[in-house]
Amino acid sequence: MSNIDATAAAAQAGDVAPAVARFRGEPGAFWRLVARGAALLMFTLGIYRFWLTTDIRRFLWSNTELAGESFEYTGIARELLLGFLIAIAILVPLYTAFFLLTLAGGPTGELISAIAFLLLTLLGQYAVYRARRYRLTRTIYRGVRFHQTGSAWRYAVCALFWWGLILLTLGLAFPFAQSRLERFKMGHTFFGNLPGRFEGSGLRLLLRGLLLWFLAVVPFAVGLVATLAAVDWKTLAAAADGGDDASSWLESSGLGGAVVYAVLTGVWLMLSFAILYPIFQAMLLRWWGSGLRFGEMTVTSRLRTGQVFGVYARFLWYAFLFTLVVGAIVGAGVLVLPRLIGGLDAMSKEIATTVAGIAAYVAAALGYSTIYQATVKLGLWRCMVETLDVSNPAALDKVAAAGDAASPVGEGLADALSVGGI
Amino acid sequence: MPDKPPPGAQSAAPVSGHGIFFDGATTARQDVTVELAPDALMVRAADGAVRAKWRYDELETMSAPADILRLGRAGDSGLARLEIHDPQLAAAIDDRSLPVDRSGRSERRMRAKVIFWSLAATASLLLVAIVGVPHIASQLTPFIPYSVERRLGAAINAQARAGLDTGHAGAAFECGNAPKEQGGRAAFDKLMGELTLAAALPIPLVVVVVRKPDSNAITLPGGHIYVFQGLIDAAQTPDELAGVIAHELGHVAHRDGTRTVLQGAGLSLMFGMLLGDFFGGGAVVFAAKTILQTSYSRDVEASADGYGGALMGKLGGDQRALGTILSRIAGSTHPGPRILLDHPETAERVAAIEAMARSAPASAPARPLLTKSEWAALKTICSGT
Repeated sequence: MSNIDATAAAAQAGDVAPAVARFRGEPGAFWRLVARGAALLMFTLGIYRFWLTTDIRRFLWSNTELAGESFEYTGIARELLLGFLIAIAILVPLYTAFFLLTLAGGPTGELISAIAFLLLTLLGQYAVYRARRYRLTRTIYRGVRFHQTGSAWRYAVCALFWWGLILLTLGLAFPFAQSRLERFKMGHTFFGNLPGRFEGSGLRLLLRGLLLWFLAVVPFAVGLVATLAAVDWKTLAAAADGGDDASSWLESSGLGGAVVYAVLTGVWLMLSFAILYPIFQAMLLRWWGSGLRFGEMTVTSRLRTGQVFGVYARFLWYAFLFTLVVGAIVGAGVLVLPRLIGGLDAMSKEIATTVAGIAAYVAAALGYSTIYQATVKLGLWRCMVETLDVSNPAALDKVAAAGDAASPVGEGLADALSVGGI
Repeated sequence: MPDKPPPGAQSAAPVSGHGIFFDGATTARQDVTVELAPDALMVRAADGAVRAKWRYDELETMSAPADILRLGRAGDSGLARLEIHDPQLAAAIDDRSLPVDRSGRSERRMRAKVIFWSLAATASLLLVAIVGVPHIASQLTPFIPYSVERRLGAAINAQARAGLDTGHAGAAFECGNAPKEQGGRAAFDKLMGELTLAAALPIPLVVVVVRKPDSNAITLPGGHIYVFQGLIDAAQTPDELAGVIAHELGHVAHRDGTRTVLQGAGLSLMFGMLLGDFFGGGAVVFAAKTILQTSYSRDVEASADGYGGALMGKLGGDQRALGTILSRIAGSTHPGPRILLDHPETAERVAAIEAMARSAPASAPARPLLTKSEWAALKTICSGT
């Protein structure tokens, strides 16, 4: 039974309650939360991030309402800090060992680097799954927690396999990878004793996204081939070996034409990314949301592509305003700083300038990150929640508690390996 | 309860009201009556049966939308929850229970503590990065076996060479291999032979002259030294060139390259892990490392100057020649930017070199390191193609 059939059948049975999912968070409160968090992140060299992450999750969870009851996030920042410390204890010896082994140099060193890369990717996927377990077991709804079973190592191996396949097929395997991995995750997810599952079809996602794939990948491939074909490789090799007049071999080898093709390809990629990515994201979120199941409860997402564009447009607008402000401050700094440090010796000047540069860079980066959190992250969450149609929410009424709180190790590893989620 | 009036003082506040109760065993939603007894909060079902009795001091506020008070029981492994939607009832519970604090004052106090200690931790980490890491790296360096240093050097050399080897108009990167350059090569090898013999380093040296226009020389871990063509052009006497190379041998003898690698690894680990995931953390780590390492290098350069002066003295060369060439390079319009960035202020350095030459005079009688014709040949080491 397809999603649409399921919804239609449920509608006939009279079980569809419209707007059963709501988001009640005030954007202003969220802005204050992330802006204050960004300032503290800067002055604590990032240590504050465990508290900020916890605050953000509490806000998002507790303002998300399903069938009249809101969710609750019970994770505490100290747990994330602990997970981070455990991750350090695991990763530091590992990094050191890899560093010493790659010193062997030559083919052995390269082999070891490749193995290290694979192992760290595997560990990253392992962390993704364990972190999901942590978040689920800290998610409470009507006094009952979610939980997740299944082996994180098995998930990591599957994920590595599928990502390899995605690379080999230039992205064509992506829908099937998403479908399989999401099935694995949701198939091991429980709300109390109510099992979850995922019913999104990889083939359907592929058919919907095929046009996007052609628009993104084909011009890229054509551009790449045109660039490579424009170069007369023999002449170039000969010129690079013996000639010393740069302009002559640039002309004779056709490198000039190749540069033009490469630039055109790059511009097209940027443009198509800006336009296609929101379309792609909307499609993926809609497909994902419509595939979620918990027992008899089914979900359909009505997310519109225009909403996702709106979210990104807001981000770009705020980012533009922020850029103007940063530009003005940096301009003023460039004028004022030389006067302030005029009396110092060259060495101290160098250090003062660099410190000011780093501080400006960090402040700007944190500013963009804050704008991103408050527009894109919050915006997508809100749109996603508010466009969910939930059928049979009554399935959630008679669920018995099951499962225990899981350890935060996965969160720590995900943090240290930079593969974090929400 | 020091800052709260005793229970019972709030006669106007409601002592019972409506709530929604989840018992933590199932998701069943129970409409209950909440009764504020003197010492505990009673949760009664419609039939009057007591569902829960929670003492006021065990109550815990759980995260919820702004208009709902969601209570749990502290230390309870179950997840029973009581939700109060009525603001007056919520205020009455807040009045009676110390842990329930809807104004967020205790939460803010807790958070201020976190912020304070994070700032303190940041300060002490910066202190460790500025003072501790170089010290630890210096202490550790002697324990790195030379075999490891040589491997490290080989790995870094491959990288550094690729970075240095840019644009030299078709000629080979290394000087001294073309037929026209053999004379220069022989003179350079003679000079290096004398320096190497006098220095008696525990690690074999790999010294090459390369086609780079900057007046500079660099030393990598594992005894790899690159002398740039620009330096040979700028040197007016064999002693000036020998002085710079003797300074570089000081870096080899003090194992400065290895120590820099250890410092870099330590700083990356400290800041990289700590800064974690936030946007652009990597660039910050890199910039911070550069600054800290720049500030470490002042002492390092001064002590390499000392070593170089002593070595020149041992050979009977001019101990002041390094100062002479340094002043000239710094005065010219074409100094490599590195030499200014990495090296303490030239005037200060030259003065220190002079002072050292006065206080610790040469241990061997003065003699020319190369003959006039050998020096003339050396200057042509990068002449051929």
